[in-house]
Amino acid sequence: MTDATQAAVHAEGIWKIFNEGQPGEVTALQDVNLEVQTGEFVSLIGPSGCGKSTLLRVTADLTEATRGTMTVAGVTPHQARQKQLYGMAFQQAALFDWRTVRRNVELPLELMGWSKDKRRARALELLEMVQLSDFADHRPWQLSGGMQQRVAIARSLAVDPPLLLMDEPFGALDEMTRERMQNELLRIRRETGKSIVFVTHSIPEAVYLSDRVVVMSPRPGRITDIVPVPLGAERDEDTRESDDFFHAVTAVREALRGHVGGAENRARVGEV
Amino acid sequence: MTDRLKFIWPPIIIGVLVLAAWQAIVVVQDIQPYLLPAPSLIAENFFGDISLMWSTAIYTAITAFLGLVLGTIAGVLMAFLAQRLIVVNNLITPLAAGLAAVPIIALTPILNNMFSITSRTPRVLVTMIIVFFPMLVNVTRGLVQVQPVQLELMRSMNAAPRTILRVLRVPNAIPFFFTGLKIAAPLSVIAALVAEYFGGPQEGLGSRIASSAANTAYGRAWAYVVAAIITGLVFYLVTVALERWTTPWADRTRST
Repeated sequence: MTDATQAAVHAEGIWKIFNEGQPGEVTALQDVNLEVQTGEFVSLIGPSGCGKSTLLRVTADLTEATRGTMTVAGVTPHQARQKQLYGMAFQQAALFDWRTVRRNVELPLELMGWSKDKRRARALELLEMVQLSDFADHRPWQLSGGMQQRVAIARSLAVDPPLLLMDEPFGALDEMTRERMQNELLRIRRETGKSIVFVTHSIPEAVYLSDRVVVMSPRPGRITDIVPVPLGAERDEDTRESDDFFHAVTAVREALRGHVGGAENRARVGEV
Repeated sequence: MTDRLKFIWPPIIIGVLVLAAWQAIVVVQDIQPYLLPAPSLIAENFFGDISLMWSTAIYTAITAFLGLVLGTIAGVLMAFLAQRLIVVNNLITPLAAGLAAVPIIALTPILNNMFSITSRTPRVLVTMIIVFFPMLVNVTRGLVQVQPVQLELMRSMNAAPRTILRVLRVPNAIPFFFTGLKIAAPLSVIAALVAEYFGGPQEGLGSRIASSAANTAYGRAWAYVVAAIITGLVFYLVTVALERWTTPWADRTRST
C-alpha cells in the first residue's frame, strides 16, 4: 500500500452513525477502510442502504464521518472541497434550465472567479471532449437524458480536478444509452487520467468500468469484499462478451449474494 | 399558426353566442335596464363616451399600477427575508391561507381616516397590501423550492450561501415571481377599483360605476364595468408578455 498522502482517497476506520444515541439510530457505515490509488477506477456496489452513497458523500465533505479519518489527495475532505480537488456528478444531471449548456459547464469556473474568456474557452474544450460542441448554445431541457449527463460530466471536469466522484450517474438512462455512456467515460478517463469513485447498482457496469469493485452490504453498511477486475486498461464492446468479463461479473455477483443472500438479491442480479 | 387558431376561435365563438343570447333574452322578455341592460345599450354608452371611459380607466390604472409596483417590491423583499427564516417551506402555505382571509378591502375606510381621503394614498395602500401576499408566497416558494441535488452540487463546488442565493435561488424564483405577478396584476385593478367605493375623489372606475348606478344610468354603469374588465386584461397581458420576454427558458413548462 502506498503512503496515505499519495492515494486519491484514503479512508481509515470510517463510521457514520445517524441519530447516535437516539431511538432512531442507524449505522450507515461501520469501520470502512478503503484506499483508492491515483488514477484508479473504483466502483462501490451493493443493495440500497449499504452506505455506498454515504461513503461518497463523506469523501465529498457533503456529510461528516462520525469517526475515522479520511483524506482526499492527502488533505481532509473539507480542504479538498475548498480547493476543488474533486468534481462530482449525480444521478440527476442537475443542470440549470436558465443557463445554456455552455454556461452550465462554466458554472464551477465562474464560482472560482475565472475570467469570461478563459471559462468560455475551457467550456468549449470540454464540450468537444463529450462531443456536444454543436449544443453549446442549447438549453439543457432541449437535450436527451444521456446528453444531459454528458454535460454534467463535462461540468464535473471543468476545474480539472484529479478525482471524480460519481453517484449513479447513468442510473436513470436506458440500457443502450448507458453502455454508450460507459464507453464515453472510459475514453474520458484514458484522456484525462482521473481517479474515479463510482457508485452503481449494476454489476456489469461496475465490472466494465472498474479496476476494483468494492462490494458493500447493509444493516450496518460495511465493505464485505473487494473484487479486482483483471480486464486491463483497453476495454471495448468485445470486452463485454469476453470470458474474463463473465468471470468478474460472477465473482461480484457471488460476493453480493454471499453476504446478502435471498430471493431479493437474486432478482436484483437478474435484472441486469 | 393553425394550432394557435384552434385555441383562439372557441372562446370567441362562445363569447359571441353568449352576447347574442343575452341581447335576445333582454329584447324578447322586455327586461328593464336596471335589472339587466342589453349589450347594445352598454356598447352605445361605452363607445359614445369613449374618451371619458379612457380617462376614467387611466385614473384607476395609475392607482393599480402604483399599488402593484410597491406591493411587488415589498413582497419580494419580504420573500428574501422569509427564505432565511423559514426552514420548513410547508409553513408558507398555511401562513398564506391565514393572511388571505384578512378582509383587506374593509380596511379602506380606516385608511381613509388615517390618510387624506382626497388623495390617492389610501387606495394605493390597499392595492399594495393586496398585491403583497401573492408576491410574497410565490417568490418565497421559488427561493426555497430548489432541487436538493442542485443544492448538493453547489455545496460540492464550495459555494457560499450568498452565492447559492445569487446563482441558484434567485434564477429559480423568477418563474414563480411571474406566477405571482399574473395573479397580482389583475387583482391590483380590482383592489384599486373597489377601494374607490369608499369615498374620496370621483375620477376612477369604481366611483363612476357606483354613481352611474345611483343615477339610474345602468347602461353607463355597465360600460364602466367593461372598461374595468379591459383594464384588468391589459394588466394581465402585459405581465404575460413580460414573462415571455424575460424567461425564455421556462417556455416548455408554460401553460398560457
